[in-house]
Amino acid sequence: MTRGKLVLKNLTRKKTRFLFTVLGISVGIASLVTLLSLGTGLEAEVRKQSQELGAELVVTPKGWCAYEQISVLTGETLPEAIPNADVEKVASIKGITAIPYLVQRTAIKNQPVTVVGILPEPMKQFKNWQVEKGEYRLDRESLVVGFSIAKQFELKTGDKLTIRGTEFLLSGILKEMGNRDDLVIYLDLTTAQKLYGVGDKVSFIAVKVDDITRIEQYSQEIQERANVAVVSDKQLIKSVMAIVGTVRNTLQMIAAVAVLAAAFGIINTMLTAIHERKREIGILQALGGKRRTIFFLFLYESALYGIVGGVVGLIAGFAFSFFAAPYIQQSEFTAFLGSAQTVEIFNLAVIGQAMLFSVLVACLAGIYPAWQASRLSPVEAISYE
Amino acid sequence: MSDMIIRTEKLTKIYENGYSTVALQGVDLEIPRGSLSCIMGPSGHGKSTLLHLIGGLDRPTSGKVFLEDLDLTAIDANRLAEVRCRKIGFVFQFFNLLPMLTVLENVEIALMLAGVPPKEQHERAGDLLALVGLEDKLQARPNQLSGGQRQRVAIARSLANDPDILLMDEPSGNLDSKSESELLQNIEKVNERGKTVVIVTHSPTVSQVAHRIYYIQDGRLKREVENFG
Repeated sequence: MTRGKLVLKNLTRKKTRFLFTVLGISVGIASLVTLLSLGTGLEAEVRKQSQELGAELVVTPKGWCAYEQISVLTGETLPEAIPNADVEKVASIKGITAIPYLVQRTAIKNQPVTVVGILPEPMKQFKNWQVEKGEYRLDRESLVVGFSIAKQFELKTGDKLTIRGTEFLLSGILKEMGNRDDLVIYLDLTTAQKLYGVGDKVSFIAVKVDDITRIEQYSQEIQERANVAVVSDKQLIKSVMAIVGTVRNTLQMIAAVAVLAAAFGIINTMLTAIHERKREIGILQALGGKRRTIFFLFLYESALYGIVGGVVGLIAGFAFSFFAAPYIQQSEFTAFLGSAQTVEIFNLAVIGQAMLFSVLVACLAGIYPAWQASRLSPVEAISYE
Repeated sequence: MSDMIIRTEKLTKIYENGYSTVALQGVDLEIPRGSLSCIMGPSGHGKSTLLHLIGGLDRPTSGKVFLEDLDLTAIDANRLAEVRCRKIGFVFQFFNLLPMLTVLENVEIALMLAGVPPKEQHERAGDLLALVGLEDKLQARPNQLSGGQRQRVAIARSLANDPDILLMDEPSGNLDSKSESELLQNIEKVNERGKTVVIVTHSPTVSQVAHRIYYIQDGRLKREVENFG
């Protein structure tokens, strides 16, 4: 006989109670894991999208807040605020490549789709795009689409697409890039500006620099020449992460409350068990069980609820986050969660955090009942009927 | 070392449950080492209370209990648990076996609490159960045994840590006459091995095997009789 075996036998003798107590903590841990997974995936996706933007600097209109900066990465609609004069000023700086973006929206079959107005050739080189089908032609009558858009809406080259009442020929489908470029319709910049009536303005400019060590000087020079703001890719990530982090922390707090609620379930279960097993506690005391022994036997039982509940919660949480992620409605914050790839299943940090939290909460919940059990008078306990 | 293994001095126990109930009052008692003693008397007159105090399961309101030279009333709860574990074995009227454990495990648990490694627990528990004739019931659950068999498991468990003293509270109270007779044989066998046995009983049959009988009435020691059989 070992203490572990005794704990296990005691724990599983009331199977239904055991099951429901475990379920209580599992639900809490599952929600925590779901949010941790989505949060971690979201952060990873922000970094990935930022990398795939391919720019070291992003030129934005002055006064943009972090919410608008997120949209640079998510492809959400952006206000058009940088005039062509400023685009030319930025582009004229030696040692940089400036790629203007006009980000707008349209709908295909009542589904919202991002439309981006670009300079066709510089953009192709900048992004290193390849054509999957058709040809890369963007002008007043033709456009190209990303790989996933074509797949999602079953588009073929030669199809007609109507945007804001104007019919365009789908000239080409880009090769899959594995990022948000796959989810966009690309128009020639001038055509897009006319179509959306924004004059000669663009939403933002992605800037690639030739010499990365001079990034500060480039940033300063851009701001001196044009009436714009400049953020580096690192600053962009930082400000986006600050918002993502706040949202994630809030959601995790809510999940933590669910786990804490489950902790009260454990306290209740343990107190009931102690009441029912009062005589058995007395027997153990009569046989020489010390207060410390009784305390730890009950604390181990409680901890085991945390371990089993944690494991079940982890599995359920990962399963839920994997299957639910594609159905989460797109918004400024969840735009990155549009595909299951954004969810990091079996992330070791998530597993560690969730298990630690589960066991810690279960142990804390077990302290009071275990202390009560250890303080019972042997003669009172053994005489209990 | 004194010849008396158990000694009480002016032992008094008063229960306070809103009103005071005097269970024991000024009991002076001496129990010789290696003896087989019975504590008898009417129900509710303090026999079991005396046994609980001698066994360190409860604390007196006043007075002292000595186990050899150790004053049980002066030591803390953990030390008292240690004494119960190493020096004293208990057998109760209602057997007090743990229902979710097998017969073997019920004996092993006493060894586990004494820190005996699992392999040794297994061997020693098997030997003790063989001693009480239950070697074929090792994997049975307590609810699969008769009253007599359960009491034999309880005796095996009480002997697990080779205690000096065996305290039995109405051990034949739930047994038929055949089981009671088997119990007495086991008790005598244990006593012959040098263990001091103290039995609280109403049974004249049990008292017949005792070397010494203490009569408790109204919480006081009324008489002490030596029994030469």
